[in-house]
Amino acid sequence: MLEIKPIFKALMRSKVGAVLLLLQIAITTAIVSNAAFIIYDRVTYLAQDTGYDEENVFSFAILTFGKDRDLMQQTELDETFIRNLPGVIDAAAMSAVPLSGSGSATGFTLKPQPEISKRARAAYIQGDEHVLNTLGLTLLEGRNFTSDEVVVTESAREVPNVVVVTKTFIDELFPEGNGLGQTIYMGDLPAKVIGIVESVSGPWLKDSRPKNIVFIPLMKAMKAQNFVVRTESGAREEIMKNIESELLQQYPDRVIDWLTAFDKSKDEYNAGDILMMRMLIVLIAVLVGVTALGIFGLTLFNISKRTKQIGTRRALGARKSAIIRYFLIENSMISLVGLVIGCFAAHTLGQLLMQHYEIPVLPIGYIIGTALSVFVMSWLAVIGPAKRAADISPSIATRSI
Amino acid sequence: MFTHYLDLSWRSFKRTPLVSILMVLAIAIGIGVTMTSLSVYHMMSMDPIPSKSQQLFHPQLKTMDEGINWWTSNDMPTQLTYQDAVNLQKAEVPAKKSISMRSGFSVHLGDGSIKPFMSQARFINADFFSMFQLEFVFGDSWSLAQEHNATPVLVIDSQLNDKLFAGTNSVGKQLYLDDKAFLIVGVIKQWTTHIKYYDLNNGAFNETENIYMPFPLVEANQYENWGNTNGWKHESIRTFEEKIRSEHVWLQFWVELPTRDAKKDYGEFLLAYMQEQQKIGRFNRKELDFALHNVTEWMEFNNVVSEDNKVMVALSFMFLAVCLANILGLLLAKFLRRAPEIGVRRALGASKTQVFYQHLVEVSLLGLFGGLLGILVAQLGLWGVRITRDYYENLATMDITMLLAAPAIAIVACLVAGLYPAWLVCRTNPAVYLKSQ
Repeated sequence: MLEIKPIFKALMRSKVGAVLLLLQIAITTAIVSNAAFIIYDRVTYLAQDTGYDEENVFSFAILTFGKDRDLMQQTELDETFIRNLPGVIDAAAMSAVPLSGSGSATGFTLKPQPEISKRARAAYIQGDEHVLNTLGLTLLEGRNFTSDEVVVTESAREVPNVVVVTKTFIDELFPEGNGLGQTIYMGDLPAKVIGIVESVSGPWLKDSRPKNIVFIPLMKAMKAQNFVVRTESGAREEIMKNIESELLQQYPDRVIDWLTAFDKSKDEYNAGDILMMRMLIVLIAVLVGVTALGIFGLTLFNISKRTKQIGTRRALGARKSAIIRYFLIENSMISLVGLVIGCFAAHTLGQLLMQHYEIPVLPIGYIIGTALSVFVMSWLAVIGPAKRAADISPSIATRSI
Repeated sequence: MFTHYLDLSWRSFKRTPLVSILMVLAIAIGIGVTMTSLSVYHMMSMDPIPSKSQQLFHPQLKTMDEGINWWTSNDMPTQLTYQDAVNLQKAEVPAKKSISMRSGFSVHLGDGSIKPFMSQARFINADFFSMFQLEFVFGDSWSLAQEHNATPVLVIDSQLNDKLFAGTNSVGKQLYLDDKAFLIVGVIKQWTTHIKYYDLNNGAFNETENIYMPFPLVEANQYENWGNTNGWKHESIRTFEEKIRSEHVWLQFWVELPTRDAKKDYGEFLLAYMQEQQKIGRFNRKELDFALHNVTEWMEFNNVVSEDNKVMVALSFMFLAVCLANILGLLLAKFLRRAPEIGVRRALGASKTQVFYQHLVEVSLLGLFGGLLGILVAQLGLWGVRITRDYYENLATMDITMLLAAPAIAIVACLVAGLYPAWLVCRTNPAVYLKSQ
């Protein structure tokens, strides 16, 4: 440890190199800790469980333009047809498709509007009694709709009076957990909660209430109708390939579009986050590489400048390990100062990002973790050149003097 | 002298190839990473219609009752109600104006000759074409009379025309949307704007529509809106008639105001309009408020450039700084090693300034090489962006500005990094080195 003083004095003689190294280490620490945290944030978001068997569910839309068939009847015929296809577990027409990024939401209340009462936002999905099974949802309490409860209508005046809801949604309105059997209101229309299902994701993963869904037993004739299909494991690809031609064979005057697998539509919805995550990973990797190379290069340069001094020290009896130790300690001293500055910079950058963008507070653990890794990296970068320095022969020192 | 310095730089580059290549690589990687995120940012924030972006305005009206707030930054809905849009459109104001709404249809020719497919359509007023500089290849817009009477006519773009009619003049032919026949009155050149600035509700970088139709058809045929609909008031809306009389907002509106005075007058008109509406019980609030955003302001207001992108740009510039620190270190090593040679040159009469310039030329050359190589790195990065997110297809590219910016930024960055080493080396005291030769 006695060596610290002479090393420090030597450093003071070539300040610029040390400062450059220190700066690189500081900026690297600041960037890497923040980037790593953003990556972690996205990975947790992307890895979230939507609650669906994403690999075996897909959706599509039918746009009917033919006028010679009754839309409602055709939708039911299609449902039956798809349900009977080999490999299909269940299928249902739905007003909105989960994970798709498109649908409808509204505030549900405890009293009929315009009376003021407790309110919770939820997406709503209209369909028949097959909806829950098609999405593969388990009932936690209560029961599913019966087919008699499903209102099939052309006019907008008839409305159902029961609903099935997700647990997160009903717990928001009834925090004591006594939501089953209660009446909630959509506008001024009452509906009794007859079933509660596990919490699954609605149409928007980035909604303020992503897992609030109300399932309404209502079938309306729609020019553009969404369908969701759940297949047996492994059968999805084949069914997706043929579904368009098979449905057009049933009735040709329509267009089948937006055929998407559930996992694919989730990826599409999250494409921006996946992109950000990948860009940051590349950035971190390249940055660490560049900084390591920088340390490597500067140490090599320092050694070449000090060849004679190293030779002299060796000639005067210094062991190889002493030479290696010298460079390691020198590097550690620079790194430590750089890391301390880097930690403050990381914290400041984190604060800045938090103020201007929707990024949570950077946990201190990330800064410390990054600082430790950068320290280890700097050692790894310096150990090669230091060994080379140790191999300098003492004779070099004597040669040109 | 400059060419001589270039020659010297090239010789110096060849003399220490490893260090030189390392420096060029460091710049190239730094520039590559920076340009990748900067290019996407540039494409996202670029003015999509430079000659008119300051003249086209999207109005916002504070329609909500007293005490009700909207979630936007200026507390106003981004779209208009049907009543307001139609009233503003019909108002006797000397300005071009158009309502705008997105919908979609099954398209076919009615004779089974093609497989029906889905296509998106935009409902507008005739002014829209000239306001947004859409050029007609065949035919022209519909007449005001046709628009007024909700005549079943439409304009298609060249992409759809190529698909259905092999690019021939299709004016006068019929096109089926769902079960109804429409007469084609014009074909416009495909609208290629990489930012869908005229409708930012459902993805700012989606493709433009292929079909354009007179807005009055929406009411006549009760067409559904495929964009967003939002409300603030408890209203029972179950029919189309109820919807168009409601306070739901679901329509975009654009007005062309070429001068400041025109904008001021239009603002006064909007205030007067809201006061007029108060008499029939709407706009129940003490302070009437409206906003008029031009195209660039509207893009800013709607956060077209994503947060992620801004964060990426900031981080990549910091990354560039790390690369520069590296280059600075390497330059110091390289230049100082050459001190003896410089000593001789100084002794032979080269001035400090000349030595300084010579070294700046050398670092600029490194910057140029690094910048050019950086373009390649950035292309690789942008390719990565495109395959991760095909939605960014038109954004993850380098236009001419960015291609020129890459070497420019690289050279400036290298000059900044090279200043100190060059200054250090030009101060070389010739005597010291002459002695030791």
